Amino acid sequence: MIRKSFFLPAFCLVLLTMTATVSARAAASGDEELDPIHHSVDGNYMDFSPIGKLELPRIFVTSSADEGLGIDFFLTSTAAVERGGYAATWDTAQGEGRYYEAHLTPPGGGHVLVDMSITRHLVFAWIGMLIVWLLFTHIAKMYKAGIGRETAPRGLLQNMLETLILVIRDDIARPSIGAKSDRYLPYLLTAFFFILTCNLLGLVPFGATATSNLMVTAVLATFTFVLTQVGGTKDYWMHILWPPGVPTFVKPILIPVEILGIFTKPFALAIRLFANMTAGHLVILSLIGLIFSFANLFGDGAGYGVAPVSVAFSLFIYLLELLVSFIQAYVFTMLSALFIGMAVEEHDHGHHVELSPTH
Amino acid sequence: MVLAADLLSPNAGLIVWIGITFGILLILLRKFAWGPITSALTTRESTIQDSLDQAKNALAEARAVQADNTRARREAEADAQRIMREARDAAEKLRSEEVEKTRAQLRQMQEQAEADIEREKQNALNMLREEVAHLAVDAAGKILRDTLGAEHQKKIVNDMLGDLSRN
Repeated sequence: MIRKSFFLPAFCLVLLTMTATVSARAAASGDEELDPIHHSVDGNYMDFSPIGKLELPRIFVTSSADEGLGIDFFLTSTAAVERGGYAATWDTAQGEGRYYEAHLTPPGGGHVLVDMSITRHLVFAWIGMLIVWLLFTHIAKMYKAGIGRETAPRGLLQNMLETLILVIRDDIARPSIGAKSDRYLPYLLTAFFFILTCNLLGLVPFGATATSNLMVTAVLATFTFVLTQVGGTKDYWMHILWPPGVPTFVKPILIPVEILGIFTKPFALAIRLFANMTAGHLVILSLIGLIFSFANLFGDGAGYGVAPVSVAFSLFIYLLELLVSFIQAYVFTMLSALFIGMAVEEHDHGHHVELSPTH
Repeated sequence: MVLAADLLSPNAGLIVWIGITFGILLILLRKFAWGPITSALTTRESTIQDSLDQAKNALAEARAVQADNTRARREAEADAQRIMREARDAAEKLRSEEVEKTRAQLRQMQEQAEADIEREKQNALNMLREEVAHLAVDAAGKILRDTLGAEHQKKIVNDMLGDLSRN
């Protein structure tokens, strides 16, 4: 048993090192550089390198002086340029010639009003949504059939998902929101499982992390923000617009702070998730990038030499990322529940929690 | 810095897409997944809770019945003991009364007998006294007739009689 448990990771390490060095040579032979940020950001293509890249459809809402608003749809970026007559410009000389990395401007003096293109992160967000949808409609069917309602839950999937659902309900929603928790439970569950699935999709080969995109996390945070404000009780708004229990001359200072607080909470939610999911990937890619840097600076030998170290470290970070995926999904849900809970909470008038020690 | 800007570059199209699709996912899951799942879980929990409550109630009932039985048995035992004690007491009393009655009867009979005896004794004594007087008179008569005159005889007899009565 001991030998087996040692052999497996060692074998994986060797395998990964070989793959890394092979792809390093492949990359070195091409003119592409390994750029961690470039691999983390969104793009108009699916990256299956070294097999190839799949261009994604482009949808443009355009506005031009003579034609007004218009919608252009192309299956690929290349098609937009070659058949749509779009002009391509590049920020850096590095991407030149690859239309999917170019800024595209419509012909005839117009400009792109909104770029509704299907991006890589959008595709993976949709894949995540599809997985969540399939998983939970599947177990919902089981519950409807009576498995888990009249009997004990059956099978790994139902048991595992039920445990997570119960964690959200009993450890997050109910303690944070209280009596109204049932109303917000569907949102918390959807957010948790969507974020978790997206986080984990980023760890799959050829996958991308939709939650490492600030736009995605901002939308999620906006949902929390809207639910918080819509559900806010009179007390909640009173505490913001006329904080009780403080002298009147302090109120002009406190009120702007409270109003700012409404927006900083979801902002922190968005930034936290985005930063955490991006950081792990950047670290992994940077560690892999060390192989290339060493090979470029000190020759191929140094590249081969540093490869096992890089791979071992990135494996460690990868496992850390697995943990972070769960933690960040949990934290986002937990904080959303807390913010909603603070807004929808019914206070007892007359005596304050802070003022009454017997309370 | 261009690279960092890539990470933070805004993309309105993505916001719209994610906003719409996440909203749809939320609504659909709420209707088709979370609703059935959470209601099933609540049903199951309440079923379990009910079963536990029922078991607890049944146990409490059984305990109450057992306690009732024990109390009834104790009472019956106490009753039996009391009845036995009362019966014993009654028997004892009856016996002692009987003994007392018998004793009184005996005493009465004894007293009666003693009185009878005394009376018979007095009768016998009186008869004896008369007999003795007759005998003495007869004897003295005989003697005096032989030796003394009649006067003398009478005097002697009277003296003797006086002695007898003094005795």
